[in-house]
Formats: sequence, structure tokens, C-alpha cells
Amino acid sequence: MAELEDSSQPRLAPGCRWSGEGAERTLVFPEGALRLQETARAILERCDGQRTFKQIVEELAGAYNSSDPAKIRQDAMTFLERLRQKRLVDF
Amino acid sequence: MSASPLAIIAEITHRCPLHCVYCSNPLQMASPSSELATDQWATVFEQAAKLGVLHIHFSGGEPLAREDLTQLVRSGHSRGLYTNLITSAIGLSESRLDELVKAGLDHVQLSLQDSREASANWIAGTRAHALKLAIAPAIRRSGVAFTINIVVHRQNVDHLEEMIAMAESLEPQRLEIAHTQYYGWAWKNAEQLLPTRKQVLESLEIVSAAQKRLEGKIRIDAVVPDYYARFPKACMGGWGQRQMLIDPAGTVLPCHAAAVIPGLRFENVLDRSLEWIWRESESFRKFRGESWMPEPCRSCDRRSEDFGGCRCQAFMITGNAAATDPVCSLAPLRSLIDEKIAQANSVAEPAPDLLPIQQENFWVYRPQPK
Repeated sequence: MAELEDSSQPRLAPGCRWSGEGAERTLVFPEGALRLQETARAILERCDGQRTFKQIVEELAGAYNSSDPAKIRQDAMTFLERLRQKRLVDF
Repeated sequence: MSASPLAIIAEITHRCPLHCVYCSNPLQMASPSSELATDQWATVFEQAAKLGVLHIHFSGGEPLAREDLTQLVRSGHSRGLYTNLITSAIGLSESRLDELVKAGLDHVQLSLQDSREASANWIAGTRAHALKLAIAPAIRRSGVAFTINIVVHRQNVDHLEEMIAMAESLEPQRLEIAHTQYYGWAWKNAEQLLPTRKQVLESLEIVSAAQKRLEGKIRIDAVVPDYYARFPKACMGGWGQRQMLIDPAGTVLPCHAAAVIPGLRFENVLDRSLEWIWRESESFRKFRGESWMPEPCRSCDRRSEDFGGCRCQAFMITGNAAATDPVCSLAPLRSLIDEKIAQANSVAEPAPDLLPIQQENFWVYRPQPK
């Protein structure tokens, strides 16, 4: 199983997509749906199969004006690996 | 109470080329002449989307038996609903699959009855297995999200490792391994389907090992056999909490089996709006929440997790739909389940390599609706 690396390009897994708009925006997938908190959504909305993991982390660090990009990287990695176990994200 | 249902199970027809012995359809099936028309379903999907529903599960019978399935999928998709096709794939060609995907189909769930052809066909009551395997690669190639569903029971669970390997070779993103639940036709065949304790324990180990081995590749969701559990399942996520089932004729039920409960009046989408049925109807309010609960449920810490279990199972086994689900180890009538288990364990398991095909009337097959 591939590790999540800086050059990985995470994307939503097949059958997993967004539904609704704004605060109602929900991730829908076979047999389930998730309404995510703001930071989780900010990570996942950037998982478009184009951006690399490194870019995603940089954008998040910018967006949240973070002084600790290493922590953002670690949190985003834990989150994406958990979603991959659930087969919601591929990379 | 929850604000809106998350999912609709649309049983668009009870017609089916298969005759599976564990079919969840009611014993009284809806006739083909009573089926809702295309535009009537479109109205239902519009109402569902407004009500906040996210998923529409096209089920049956076999949904492909409806010639307007592509239109129905398009209609659900155009309302923003996540569309799932629960199918045997009998009646699916590459061109029809292509049409469905273009119409906005999000997900296909293909059922397999066994890894061994003779046994699979014996369980389905028809020669379906080879046809399923022939179309499965096209489903995989189409790019639509793909789940394989395997219902396990006394007669096939000894092949579970083989079944997982077969599913793996078809490369779905997801695999559902569901122990049979005893409703509808499965209730009629319960003695033939109920596994032994040894079979159950072995199956849990096999599933757990496969989940570890396939992590990140195939997600395995398992439905455990509740007769062998300590606590009941949170049936349908709670009565009238998350899902609505609409039968081919438009009757709206809180679950697949609810029609077995006497004295409940079920509404029809042709007479009432989906929202009214969800919020106001007697049948959806009957067991919603906790006020109906008897002891020990009423004061139980688990009541918000399993909602007292399944009302249909309570009725079918104890004769009282408002009883604690008898599978619960705390239920006053748990002994009724223990008797069934004792019976299942007193008879030798089937030999995995032999089929009792020669035995006449071994099963009650699900017939076609009249």
C-alpha cells in the first residue's frame, strides 16, 4: 500500500462526492454521508487529484496563518490515512 | 427526533429473475400492475430531495426488470440524490450500464450467492452465477463505484475465504459480508440458513483477517448474525430515524419487514406527501424515540445506541412488536432465541463439498409476484 508522500495527489475515491452547497455541503458515499468540520473540509476540498499533498499542506498553512506547518502536515496525514482506510480517499 | 431521513430504499419492482431463499421481500409481494409509473417516482424523488434525503437505493426485486430504470436514475440524480443500484446484474449489458452511468448512477452493489457455481445457483434458484461473473469486469471498468455483497449462512459460510478471494479478483472498492437476517423469505428458510456457533466464530475470524489484509484496498463491511450477539442491532438506525422504504406500489414503510406488524396503517405516496408520512403518519411515529419502550430498554444505557433493537423481530419471535428485541441478552424472552440456536447446533453442519440438492423441498424459493 502506497504511503502518503509530499508528491502524492490525493483524490476522492470512486463513488465518493460532494452534495449540497455552503454550510450544508456533505460528503456522500456508498451507504453513508459525512458533514465535516471546517478544517477537515478544507483538507478534503483540496483533494482534487491535481494538488500534491505538499501543496495542500502549504495552502492550509497559509489559509490558517499557521506558525506550525509540521503539525498541520501531521494532522492532515492522519486524517487522510484514516479516510483511505474507509475507502473515501485514494492517493 | 431526527429532522429528515437520510436515505430512501426504492423497491421499484418485486419482479426478479432470481428466487433467493433469503430474499428480504415481504411474503405478500406487490403485483406488476400495481407498480408506480416513471413520473410518479419522479415526484417521489423531488419530494425526497426537498425533505433532505441524500441517498436513493434502487432495489427490488431486480431494479433492472424495469425498462425505465435509466430514466429513474436520471430523475433521482437530477434532484441531487446519490444513486445506488442494488442488483443481481441479470439484465445488465455493457450498453445498458453505459446508459445508467451517463444518467448519473453513482454506485453499483452486485450480489453473489457463493463462490461455487452449483451452490450459488442452488441458493438463487436459477442459473445466475456465471452471468454475474461475466458482467462484473464491465462494472469495474465503467468507473462507477463498485460494491460486492455476499450474504452468508449455514449452507455457504464454510466457503467464506473462497468467496472473499473471488470478490477480490473482481476488484470492487467495497465488500459487504452480511450474515442472513431472518425476515421475509429468510424467515421461512431460517432452519436451513441459521449457522452453527462454530461457523459464526470462524467467519468472524476470516472477516477480521481479510479486513487487515485488504486495508486501503477493499473496504469490508460486515453484518454480524444478531442471534449470536449479546446486544441487538440498531435496526435501520432506529425506527423512523434515518430511512424510508417505498414498495413498488408506493406504500411507505419504516423498513423492509414492517408489514408483518399487525395493526399498523401504512400510507401511500399517491395519497400523502413524503414529508407528511415521515413526520406525521402513525406508522412512522409508532416506535420512534423511546416512549414506546418497555423495561429493560427504558432504563438501559444502550437505548440510544440500539433503540431496543428490531420491532419486526420482536413481533415475529415474541408476538409483541413492543417487546425488547429477543436477541438482546437482557431481554426477558431471550430463551426463545437460545432455543433456535440450540436447535441449529444440534444438527450436523453441512459438508462444505456436498449440496443437499437431491433433497426435495429443502428450501422455500421466493416466487415471482403475481
